[in-house]
Formats: sequence, C-alpha cells, structure tokens
Amino acid sequence: MQAMQILINALVLGSLYACIAIGFSLVWGVLNVINLIHGSFIVLGAYLAFGLYQSLHLSPWYAIFVAAPLFFALGYVIQRLILNRVITAPVLVTLTLTFGLDLILNNAMIYFFTADYRKLTLSPPLGSVSIAGAVVPVDRLIATATALLLTGLLYLLLRRSRIGRAIVAVRLDRDAAVLMGVHVPSIYAVAFGLGAALAGCAGVLMALIFPISPLTSSAYLGKAFVVCVLGGLGSVSGALAGGLLLALVESVGSTYLGPSHATTLSFLLLIIFLILRPQGLVGRKGFE
Amino acid sequence: MAEQLILEAKGLDAGYGEIQVLWGVDLAVRRGEITALIGSNGAGKTTLMRALSGLIAIRGGLYRSGGDDLAGRSAAEILAHGIVHVPEGRRLFGAMSVEENLLMGAYLRTAGRAEIRQDLDRVYTTFPRLRERRNQQAATLSGGEQQMCAIGRGLMSAPQLLMIDELSLGLSPLLVEQLVDALRVLNKAGTSILLVEQDVTIALDLCHRAFVMDMGRIVREGSGEELLADPIVRDAYLGVLQE
Repeated sequence: MQAMQILINALVLGSLYACIAIGFSLVWGVLNVINLIHGSFIVLGAYLAFGLYQSLHLSPWYAIFVAAPLFFALGYVIQRLILNRVITAPVLVTLTLTFGLDLILNNAMIYFFTADYRKLTLSPPLGSVSIAGAVVPVDRLIATATALLLTGLLYLLLRRSRIGRAIVAVRLDRDAAVLMGVHVPSIYAVAFGLGAALAGCAGVLMALIFPISPLTSSAYLGKAFVVCVLGGLGSVSGALAGGLLLALVESVGSTYLGPSHATTLSFLLLIIFLILRPQGLVGRKGFE
Repeated sequence: MAEQLILEAKGLDAGYGEIQVLWGVDLAVRRGEITALIGSNGAGKTTLMRALSGLIAIRGGLYRSGGDDLAGRSAAEILAHGIVHVPEGRRLFGAMSVEENLLMGAYLRTAGRAEIRQDLDRVYTTFPRLRERRNQQAATLSGGEQQMCAIGRGLMSAPQLLMIDELSLGLSPLLVEQLVDALRVLNKAGTSILLVEQDVTIALDLCHRAFVMDMGRIVREGSGEELLADPIVRDAYLGVLQE
C-alpha cells in the first residue's frame, strides 16, 4: 500500500519534471543553448496562473491556453532579437547571455511580486480520490494528465508536422536543412518559443502544487538539468524517462530518509549517471 | 541562348574566410542535358557546388539561371528557383525515417498533399528499395540506399536542375551502375543534371558535356567523347600511360 503511494507520487511528480525539462532539452538540443532563463519562465508562468485566478477567477486549466501563446511569443521575440545575434558564438557566450537575461527577469519579478511565497488555493478545493489504496488530490491528478498531454503534443508536433520536421532536421544537420530551404534563424526562434511556452505551461501546473516565489526558479532549473542528464539530451522520451526516474528516487528517498535527503539522493544519482552513463537512459539520437 | 542555359556562371569567385577557392569559374549547364564536372581532390568542385546552391557567398562574377540573376540569393531562393544540391556524403537526417527525409525535400513546396504524395510515389518507383525501407531510419541504410534516398530527397523539391556531388563515392560498381541508369531515366524525363564525379570514366561516359576543374579554375570543357580522347585528360585523370 505504501509502495503504491510512492509509485503514484512518483508518477505525479515525474510527469511534472518531464514537462519542466522538455522545453529546456529542446532548446539545448536544437540551438545548443543552455537556457538559464528557463527556471524564471516557469516561475513567471506560475505567477500568471496565480494572477489570473486571483483577478478573474480563471482556473489554471484555462490559464494554460493564455500562457502557451503568450510565452511562445515572448520566447520567439527574445530569440529573434537577442539570441540569434550570438547563436554562432561559443556556448559560453550564449550561456552568459541567458544568465544575464535571467538576472533581469528574476529581479524584475522580485521587484514587482516581492520574494514572498504565495499559494494558489482553489476554492472550493477539488478534494482527493483513492487509487488502489493510494490517496491522490484531484488537482494533482489533473496537473499530471496535463503535463503528460503537453509532452505528447510536443512529440506529435516534432514527428508529424512540417515545422516539427524542420526543427528536427536543423538539430540533426544544419547545412543539409539549409539545402532543403529551411530558414534556420526562424526555426531557432520557433524552437526557443516552444521551449518558453512549455516552461510557461509547466509553471501554471506548478502553481497548483507548489508555493510560488521568484526564489524557486533555480530549483526548477536544477531539476531540468538533472532530468536532461538522467534521460539523455534531445528527445521527448528521454525527458519523460529522466523525469520519472528522478521523481521515483525522490519519492523513495523522502519516504525512507526524510524530505531533506530526497534532493541529496537525486544529485547523488546525477553524479553516478555522469560517471557511468553520461549519454543518459535514452541515448542521443534525433529529437523524437 | 540564355534561356537554354539552366545554369550559367561567368568569372565566379568564392571561398571560405580569407581563403579564395574559386577563381573566375566559367560553367554552363544546358537545359535537358547531363553535365559533368571532373577534377582531382581539392580542385574546388564541392566549393563550386556550395556556392551554386547558396551555402556560401559568391564574391564576384555572374550567376544566372534561365536569364534570372541568382548571385547573392539565399539557399531557399535558389531551391525555389528549381536548383537542388544533393551534397557530398549524402547528409541524410539519420534519425529520421526514409519517408521523413523525402518529405523534408519537399519542405518549401506549397503543393497540396496529393501532389506531394504523387511525387513520393514517383521517387519510390525510381528507387523501389526506398519503398521497402520507407519507415526505416535513414542512418541504418546501406551506402547505396543512402545515395538513393539523398537523390530522392533532392527530387522531392521538383527541381529543374539536380546537382549531385560525388555520386559514386564509396559505392560498389554494381550500385553505381544502377544509380547511373536511374539518372539516365530522370534525364530523359526532363530533369537537367550537373554531376560532380571523381570517377572520370563514369562521368564522361554518362554526360553530354563536361568541364574539368583544377586549382579552382575551369581548365577544359567539351563533350564527353572529346575529353575522353584528350591526351591531357587521359594522362591526368584516367591514369592511362601514353605510348
């Protein structure tokens, strides 16, 4: 019975981790940019959900439909106007640039929203259901389903659509993609926009479960990193596998060792993977 | 006359960074013909292909197709003009399936699904092996199948001129013969071809006209038979000993 509870917790947390990581992994894989704003995008998404619920009483499920286009546009513009100028520079340059942008965005959030922790509390609460002896709050269940849906949508977009194929083509062989008539700067902007949209949506889902503060952004970014290393960079299935593995380890760790050691355990796992299996669970192939 | 030339370069200069590779290249490809470009390693053949497809900038000279000026155009614009480049080493998208690779070839086309489907079918008829392996990852194909897929991907852009860099590289003679036959059929159906080839015998046998490149310049041109009979070409590229 406890095992069931751990498994369900891991599934809930794991799908959210995957959702956090796929956008980060997409940008890293396609643009070779380690996007340090990703964590702040997630927090901004959470504030968006919080604000929409407080002011308009708009449920987070609907906030997703606001967040996705808004964050896509934000990411597209940032890539088009700023990042594309230095995209061919060594990875340290783009890393520093996203670090700077993250400082600006994060401090702007602290300035406007303060560093106080806030919590989006649904009223009336949705209660919880019991699945095979395990208790799961309904809002978490919906967040899990939405996270998995978003992950699946990205997979379908990359595999089945014309623009998705172009993104994968640019990742696999940039010059060959150019010969097919692909305009690489636009594809970069679309990929970065998708990454931002996924971060924003993940933030909306996070608002349902975790307290919101600009200070949490580095924790989200850290999770995205760990998931990418565990699962393997550059594939949706890798992010999913990495997210579930990380969540499973954390759930087991916090049950038996206490919540404070869950993170210790996950970073221990990270180090083990870096030494023994640096390509991650799902090896490096195309972004599929 | 200009309308009969699907590709015309005059005094073309191009290179990488500070290094100039092409020095005043003159090249003409007639509509409906197979034109070969031969020359030793490092002569600048691949650089010329990259310049003609817009991958690297043209620094000087004229580049026209059917009377339209193509110098300074982007790769996408040149492709839209009907000139497609099948690059050396195939450069397939390895993690994609054969069919996804072929569909990437049609990326710029605004044609409807039915028309793309029809062209896909035509490629599969030209290369039946690709139909068998349509759902297989391109990276797992044999060398010959990869070349078929690369040519097929080029054809999916519905080109007027197919530029193929190193058709026979790393392939068995039997496979090369199959590919050469396929090119003949494509050419009969109306596609003009510019073929870069190390194997001079194959190239000169297949082509209507040929150009010989050396040190970034065109040093000879003529029909396939003329060049095959040319003692200097025989000496330099065919390794035939003079008696």
